[in-house]
Amino acid sequence: MGDGRGSNSGSNSNSKPEWLEQYDVIGKIGEGTYGLVFLAKIKLNRAKSIAIKKFKQSKDGDGVSPTAIREIMLLREISHENVVKLANVHINHADMSLYLAFDYAEHDLYEIIRHHRDKVNQPINQYTTKSILWQLLNGLNYLHSNWIVHRDLKPSNILVMGDGEEQGVVKIADFGLARIYQAPLKPLSENGVVVTIWYRAPELLLGAKHYTSAVDMWAVGCIFAELLTLKPLFQGQEVKGTPNPFQLDQLDKIFKVLGHPTQEKWPTLVNLPHWQSDVQHIQGHKYDNAGLYNVVHLSPKNPAYDLLSKMLEYDPRKRITAAQALEHEYFRMEPLPGRNALVSPQPGEKVVSYPTRPVDTSTDIEGTISLQPSQPVSSGNSMSGAMGGPHVMQRSMPRPMPMVGMQRMQPPGIPAYNLASQAGMGGVNPGSIPMQRGVAPQAHQQQQMRRKDPGMGNDWISSTTEIEALLRIQLDSRIRWSRSGRISKGRQDLRSNQCRR
Amino acid sequence: MESETPSPNLLCSEDESSLNEQKDENLEFCSVSESDCEFIETLFQRETSFRSIKIGSTRSRSKCCRLDAVKWILDTRALFGYHHRTAYLSVIYFDLFFARTEYSDGIPWLVRLLSVACLSLAAKMEECRVRALTEYCVEGFKFQTNVIQRMELMVLNTLEWTMGSATPFTYLNYFVSKFCGESRHRQVKLRASELILAVIEEINVVEHRPSVIAAAAVLAAYDYRLTKTTLENKIEAVLSWGSLEKEHVFSCYSLLQEILMLKTPKTTISPNSLSNYSTVISRDSIKRGLTFDDSSQVHKLSKR
Repeated sequence: MGDGRGSNSGSNSNSKPEWLEQYDVIGKIGEGTYGLVFLAKIKLNRAKSIAIKKFKQSKDGDGVSPTAIREIMLLREISHENVVKLANVHINHADMSLYLAFDYAEHDLYEIIRHHRDKVNQPINQYTTKSILWQLLNGLNYLHSNWIVHRDLKPSNILVMGDGEEQGVVKIADFGLARIYQAPLKPLSENGVVVTIWYRAPELLLGAKHYTSAVDMWAVGCIFAELLTLKPLFQGQEVKGTPNPFQLDQLDKIFKVLGHPTQEKWPTLVNLPHWQSDVQHIQGHKYDNAGLYNVVHLSPKNPAYDLLSKMLEYDPRKRITAAQALEHEYFRMEPLPGRNALVSPQPGEKVVSYPTRPVDTSTDIEGTISLQPSQPVSSGNSMSGAMGGPHVMQRSMPRPMPMVGMQRMQPPGIPAYNLASQAGMGGVNPGSIPMQRGVAPQAHQQQQMRRKDPGMGNDWISSTTEIEALLRIQLDSRIRWSRSGRISKGRQDLRSNQCRR
Repeated sequence: MESETPSPNLLCSEDESSLNEQKDENLEFCSVSESDCEFIETLFQRETSFRSIKIGSTRSRSKCCRLDAVKWILDTRALFGYHHRTAYLSVIYFDLFFARTEYSDGIPWLVRLLSVACLSLAAKMEECRVRALTEYCVEGFKFQTNVIQRMELMVLNTLEWTMGSATPFTYLNYFVSKFCGESRHRQVKLRASELILAVIEEINVVEHRPSVIAAAAVLAAYDYRLTKTTLENKIEAVLSWGSLEKEHVFSCYSLLQEILMLKTPKTTISPNSLSNYSTVISRDSIKRGLTFDDSSQVHKLSKR
């Protein structure tokens, strides 16, 4: 992953980071809690569009964001036509921000549904609905058979490819909340937000912690209904607050359509925390079963209705799986689902042309990319004189930790490690963290680690500036550290002393 | 870490406290369903990367630095209340990092910084609540958060972002139900957990499949004096395993036996006695304190 280069040249703050040079960035296409998304074209292949997702920097002091780690990890492992493809990962050196490059998809279900509801004023045709659902289930079946639960399926996360070779192909996107599920052997623990409430499964709303891939199937059911009616099926009012407040209104919306869940139909219902604790509200209220078929305007005999009701089964254990859904009669009757969901192979079918994604060209990606270190340069570093001037290598202040009962000696200029020759160091590829080029000579002067008396202590005191500089140079020039004999010797001395004691 | 006394028994209290720690693993007996087995089989297949890595052949590994790092990871895990699997996962990252780069593992600051980055990354993968980077303290160094973050990125890149490895803890339930049935499952699970944490100080974890370690640990926790034939019969229960896996479980089981034997007090411990087990562990600390861990006392002192 990564291009292995892509650094900004530190002292020149006007230049682009190197990784960005391969793209022509058109503008901003999205913004969310996760960060910003930009549309770009690859310079060498103008036909290819890329969505560059910039991860919001995690809170200072938290390191690389867990969401980013999980999303990238999952995306690296999966490959399926109906799952969005991660083309590259870029690390912006100066502020250590992460950029994910995806194949660009022009449409998403949120926009397609909205277009039909607000502009076209007619339902999405049967072929398109069925093809979208078919492909969505295919992608989901792939994820679930790889033990991945998406956990945040909603129309805006279901992308549809625009003009081109993959036109009308559905792609499941946004794996920020997805994770490998660990089967009932190791129950999934609740970690914060899970699934937008309109698409959230009843077991989650009732506080279940041992949930399964069935939560994704509930969301697919809600999306299916929304494709049919152009309206969200269960539009509850979200209760804000942390962590995970009880969403009574959302449950109320569900019960109004599907009727009250009963222990008979859902035996484990009684074990769910909110069901037990909120007897008055949710058990006390009696709902008239409005009937799902009335809401989606389908005859109970219609196979589409049958499939939908199986997706909206209360008991997660009885809920239809993606694999089972793909076998459903609905997909074997005309019109058969196709690869291009937007254009039916049947002649004479009206093709709806959906608007392209609005691009905000006023927001320049470069304005959002830091070319300078995120933290101001501290003074008082004994090394800073050697570095001189504003320079990306100057970052943090060393704060050596006081060692109780030990004197730290700082013999000047004792080289702790030898830099092996930079030539002929092939084979070492510690990854593609973008590195600053051309700093090796300066770095060479940074080799001096302050050292304690080897007879007393066992650690080398290093300043963070030095470490950081060394890490960069190691990465950049692929320098191998040769081990200092002094360290092990010092340790042996210490050991034998102890043994003698 | 409760004890301030620089005695060889320093680690004893930690082990006891983690032995009593019950929030960590799910100790209730779970029957293993068909879908669980299917899941476990999938995981077995994904473990292939653990065998293919050749390590240590080209350069000698610095045992002291690794042991210090592993001990630091285990201590910090206990201190932060992270899961056992988080510690194991960090050690996987740690060993993989050195397997895939040519950095020397004899550089104390690099090893320290790496252990911080690995534990922090593993926590981000496994824990609901992770500590701020400023809370990760190592002796002798004060790493600023942006330095740790840079190291995290270096680890992520070196491991090519494939951070989701199974650990032996993933398999505990499965093997307990396969090998021991419902009897003593709680006890066996606890002892197996302790054994797994003890063995990571001895072995390079990327050279051993997590499932093999889990199987051996469960068997050793169940009864540490099983004959080879009994072992063989037990392992037969794992359908997809062949002679290769059997051999690996044998050798891992004997390593665990060795660990147990070395620390066995003169009075023979009954394999079923859990109370004796903590004594066993503390003996281990004695042994370590004298042979490898030259610096543990210094560390304990300097921590405060």
